[in-house]
Amino acid sequence: MSTYILRRLIQTVLVIIILSYVCFYIMTLMPGDPVELMIQSNPKITSADVERLRALYGLDQPAYKRYGTWVNTILGGDLGYSRTYRVPVEELMIPRLKNTFILSLLSLLLSLAIALPLGIYSALNPGGRFDSIVNFFAFSGISIPSFWMALMLIIVFAVQLGVLPAGGTETVGLNSENFFNFVKDRGTYLILPILSLSVQQIGSFIRYARSAMMETLRNDYIRTAKAKGLERKVIIWRHAFRNALIPLITILALSFSGLFSGALLTETVFAYQGVGKLVYDSIIANDYNVAMISFIISVSMVLLMNLLADILYGFADPRITFS
Amino acid sequence: MDLQTQESLSVKMAGNQGSLTDAQKKDLETALPLWKIVMRQFLEHKMAVVSLGVILFFVLVAFSADLIAKGLGLDSNRQNVSARYLLPFSRTEIPNDAKESSIETWISENPEKSQALSKALIDKQILMSQRPADEILFELGTKPQTEALQLFEKISQPEFVSFKKMLENFGSFHLFGTDEVGRDVFIRLIYGTRVSMGVGVMVAVASALVGLFIGSLAGFYGGIIDTLLMRVTDSLLSLPLVPVLIVVAAIDLQKLPALKSLMNPENESIVKMFLILCLFSWMTVARLVRGSILSLREREFVLAARTLGARDRTIIFSHMFPNVIAPMLVAITLGVGQSILFEAALSFLGLGIMPPTPSWGNMLNNAQEVIYKNVWLTILPGIMIWLTTISFNFVGDGLQDAVDPKSIRR
Amino acid sequence: MKNLCKASILVILTLMYFVSCTGKKNSSSSVKNTELKIGTSQEFETLNPLIMTMSQTTYMYHMTGRKLVHMDPDTKWYPQLAKEIPTIENGKAKFITVGGKKKIIAEWEILENAKWGDGVPVTCHDFAMARTIALSPNVSIADKESYDMIEKIDIDSKNPKKCSFTYKKARWDFNRHGTFYPVPKHLEDEPFKKFNAQKEGYEKNSTYSKAPTNPGLYNGPYLISEIKLSDHVTFIPNPHFYGEKPKIQKVIIKLIPNTAALEANLRSGTVDMISTLGLSFDQAVEFDKKINAEKLPYLVTFTKGITYEHIDFNLDHPFFKDGRVRRAMIQALDRESLTKSLFEGKQESAIHFVSPKDPWFTRDEKYVIGAKFSKRDAEKLLAEAGWKKGEDGYLYKDNKKFSVNFGTTAGNKIRELVQVYLQDQWKQVGIEVNIKNEPARVFFGETTKKRKFDLAMYAWVSSPENIPRSTFHSTSIPSTKNGYSGQNQPGWNNPKVDKLIEDLEIEFDSKKRTDLAWELQKVYTEEAPVIPLYYRSDVSAVPPNLKNYRPSGHQFHETGKIEEWTLE
Repeated sequence: MSTYILRRLIQTVLVIIILSYVCFYIMTLMPGDPVELMIQSNPKITSADVERLRALYGLDQPAYKRYGTWVNTILGGDLGYSRTYRVPVEELMIPRLKNTFILSLLSLLLSLAIALPLGIYSALNPGGRFDSIVNFFAFSGISIPSFWMALMLIIVFAVQLGVLPAGGTETVGLNSENFFNFVKDRGTYLILPILSLSVQQIGSFIRYARSAMMETLRNDYIRTAKAKGLERKVIIWRHAFRNALIPLITILALSFSGLFSGALLTETVFAYQGVGKLVYDSIIANDYNVAMISFIISVSMVLLMNLLADILYGFADPRITFS
Repeated sequence: MDLQTQESLSVKMAGNQGSLTDAQKKDLETALPLWKIVMRQFLEHKMAVVSLGVILFFVLVAFSADLIAKGLGLDSNRQNVSARYLLPFSRTEIPNDAKESSIETWISENPEKSQALSKALIDKQILMSQRPADEILFELGTKPQTEALQLFEKISQPEFVSFKKMLENFGSFHLFGTDEVGRDVFIRLIYGTRVSMGVGVMVAVASALVGLFIGSLAGFYGGIIDTLLMRVTDSLLSLPLVPVLIVVAAIDLQKLPALKSLMNPENESIVKMFLILCLFSWMTVARLVRGSILSLREREFVLAARTLGARDRTIIFSHMFPNVIAPMLVAITLGVGQSILFEAALSFLGLGIMPPTPSWGNMLNNAQEVIYKNVWLTILPGIMIWLTTISFNFVGDGLQDAVDPKSIRR
Repeated sequence: MKNLCKASILVILTLMYFVSCTGKKNSSSSVKNTELKIGTSQEFETLNPLIMTMSQTTYMYHMTGRKLVHMDPDTKWYPQLAKEIPTIENGKAKFITVGGKKKIIAEWEILENAKWGDGVPVTCHDFAMARTIALSPNVSIADKESYDMIEKIDIDSKNPKKCSFTYKKARWDFNRHGTFYPVPKHLEDEPFKKFNAQKEGYEKNSTYSKAPTNPGLYNGPYLISEIKLSDHVTFIPNPHFYGEKPKIQKVIIKLIPNTAALEANLRSGTVDMISTLGLSFDQAVEFDKKINAEKLPYLVTFTKGITYEHIDFNLDHPFFKDGRVRRAMIQALDRESLTKSLFEGKQESAIHFVSPKDPWFTRDEKYVIGAKFSKRDAEKLLAEAGWKKGEDGYLYKDNKKFSVNFGTTAGNKIRELVQVYLQDQWKQVGIEVNIKNEPARVFFGETTKKRKFDLAMYAWVSSPENIPRSTFHSTSIPSTKNGYSGQNQPGWNNPKVDKLIEDLEIEFDSKKRTDLAWELQKVYTEEAPVIPLYYRSDVSAVPPNLKNYRPSGHQFHETGKIEEWTLE
């Protein structure tokens, strides 16, 4: 078991390194660099300035050399310096990571809380009216573009009814020592983004839960339990649900991997100061340092969560062994 | 599979009704080909059937877009700057430059009539104008439609009927209103069907083929090839999709000479979008195919084929593929939905299909700034995306149910 | 089932609680001088004046930092920290000749009561410090020229507020130090000495990055009490400010990167006004209409600006070598109608590169050649140049179709609108333009820089009385020879223009300068290397009781006089 984990970890690290180089290389293929954008806002920059800045930032060197420099600085503990904001990358990213984490976690919890019960109950009566309605909503959920859902919510709640803010992270200037007020204020800004993010998640979770439950219910041991005369509740919860959880764990672990990669579209539409929006902005602005760090964070999360999912699956299902 | 069907059916029937009629006996004894079984199963899934109907309707609409445009007199590219952001069900007139072109064509087609008409207008002093005589028709034509028709009535003579018809055609009706440059939304949604659905289907099919190829290689040969290919697949799957799509979309594809021949300026963004989406959609199919082949590889019929001396190629193509096709079909239909959503997202960010080619995604690009102005511009393209995607998803679901042997209920 | 019901009831109750707590905020009709919340949609960076490049940062800097001189909304220069502006005329500046080169030496004196926020007086040492830092090779300053143009600063040993600047070159605009910012020596000297050996060492460790709320960093009417990057900055009055005390007791600038959300926040009262770096033009026009229709308590200001929106011809393109074709393409455009229908007349159409706000502007037909809209004149010129209309309605010559590419930055709605409008107008005379847009980084990074375009539409930000060396001089054509620097994208190579520019730079007589500028405008409109479109207007939205607010319309923001703003 531990050799398996060790082997996977090593593979993960290798993959991260290779992917980071590929990503860095692709970004250098993108035309334009941070200096270009500076020229646009300042008419007084001369050609000498441009050359000087390029040399200072090391932009005139080939890709592999710049990658090497970057890796060196990372290993030295310095996560780099953002070109656009002129602050160290950690200072920029940590509050954003916190914001995205809050948003993703809350919407994940909400989706699970709604989707699991719905999926399981609809599996109990496949083809029934409850099942058809829930199924239709689930399919709708996965078919709606998330940014469109966000826009619709804004139109209804912020424009027409005016009860919720149309975007942002929190009311500015609100120095509330009172924790409760702070939570309440952040809450109002979080409602719409959470709703729009969870619509798609709810849809897919319902489908997974339903199919997992239906798979489980088809098994022979359920028939045995029924034949034994066990109560319906016991059959559903003690036997079916537990076994249905196994494939669900995999799905869940994979969803955790998306916690930090950020709901880029949702954050952009709601102007929510999260990591997703930061990644988009930094790629567009050729701010390599920020983009590479966020990229590495999301890739590592996904790979680690995959590993976690495989391990958990192994624990949950005693039939699986690791070679 | 046929045996199972017959067995379960006879058990059911025997249990419920006792003996069988002759017709039913005949039914039992004929073996049904796979596709018929699948089709019957599919037809039982109501939503899937409805969705299939919706998709076919859209496909029909997409193919006949040009006819619809001609028939209704609408042009998806004609902008009318004085008629921006009109609400649905509004009437307006075509812009002045289009009017002038129309009049110019009429004059060149009917030289004597135009002379006579101009003369009549001047003689009857309907129009006082400092313009030279040959411009008087332009002056009349570019007036607001009601005014122009009124003035025209004063000379109505039967030979000028075609001019009157032209004046009448200067009005335009917009079912869904107009967008930010005054283009008709309805016809743009229809042309958008072509792009969005076309890209979606092409990407799903192409990426499925790529996935099929890679997955079968990995599954069949195993060993190092398998590990390598699967590592590549996993790495690509672990990439945060949207950021990478943004990065790749920003590269200028014209640097690759091989691709340059495929593209001209109008198609460039569509080809780029197609390539990018394909690059990132083949992984799920590859995994699926690999899993299938891995399990099929150990089955008896493969062993038998190998004993008979069949080549690898024959085994893969003639024996394994047919068994893999069913889940692949499901993956393709679900993949179409996903591709449509991706295209919408990229175009929304401004990195996908470039205007003036309409696509549902790029019609939403402007939506954010105009939600205060005209909500319909946001609502309508989104509804189209939702409708198509959900239809493809239902069809995929129906196929899945139909193909899955465990759910065949006969 | 019971659990499900309980859970859903709980969720609904929580949502209702949150919703009830917010409710519909009444738009504030009573914004008082206690607090002003300004919304903006543009990002800002650390407020170190030597490193800053974004307009939003400059906007905020003008609230907290003053320099020697500034430009007012009427494009007149006035002294801020300096007692008076030295000129040749008032004798405070003199010509000198050093080693055969003509230079200028000017006497500057700083106001007696100019102090940094911690009470330390502002002296010439602070300007010298700024110059030393700026000229250091390890500092990533963008515009070095503003500091480099001063050869040395001699500080009076008896009075550190008096000094004389020696200028490298005898230019007539030597005293226009609009972008020469002082930094507090008593705070910045140490980090500079300690960290300057590493690349970018100074800026990473400067007091502006490490302790941005230190009052000693600011000598303007406001200090910064709180700064949160990508979110907001809070300003409070500076007790040591040399000028009149600011009336508004607290100013908060809040970043809402999404323009629609920005407007929504204004209406709900989360912000009280939107700065000139907030709304898009289209949005402002719509908002203005809504205000009138619904009697909302806001005012939308439209200020004519000098940002010049134009289309470059690539003069190396075979079709564009003929001047008649270029003039025909200009005459085929009805720019008046464009500004009227797309902008409701609120942005002014352009006839050449000098804006009406600029003292050098002229409309005189002697100097402005042939820019009237006339479709038939355009067609005549094109026919003269050998183009004939084919069957499909487009022009052909030597079996080649008149089809060119037309590019601008993708995602900019106004520009895309304009493109479609122009495409149609050119179609009427038989010219086909294919719209080919790219994201800004590609457009500016590759296409325009390497001159890979046919027609390129974008804007030049400039200042009044700006000498167009980098945009018109033949040495500024970007090519491999000069490392693709220089902004003469059309590739205009005209020795007459080169001479006019060189003469302009050293002409001290203002009347003669204006004459030279008029000559330049004449050549420009005659040869038409560029299609002038319009001048962008700055837009902002303010509460009706904000007095003494006057947007500047140029890069020297109105926050340079923020101490006068008051909410009655």
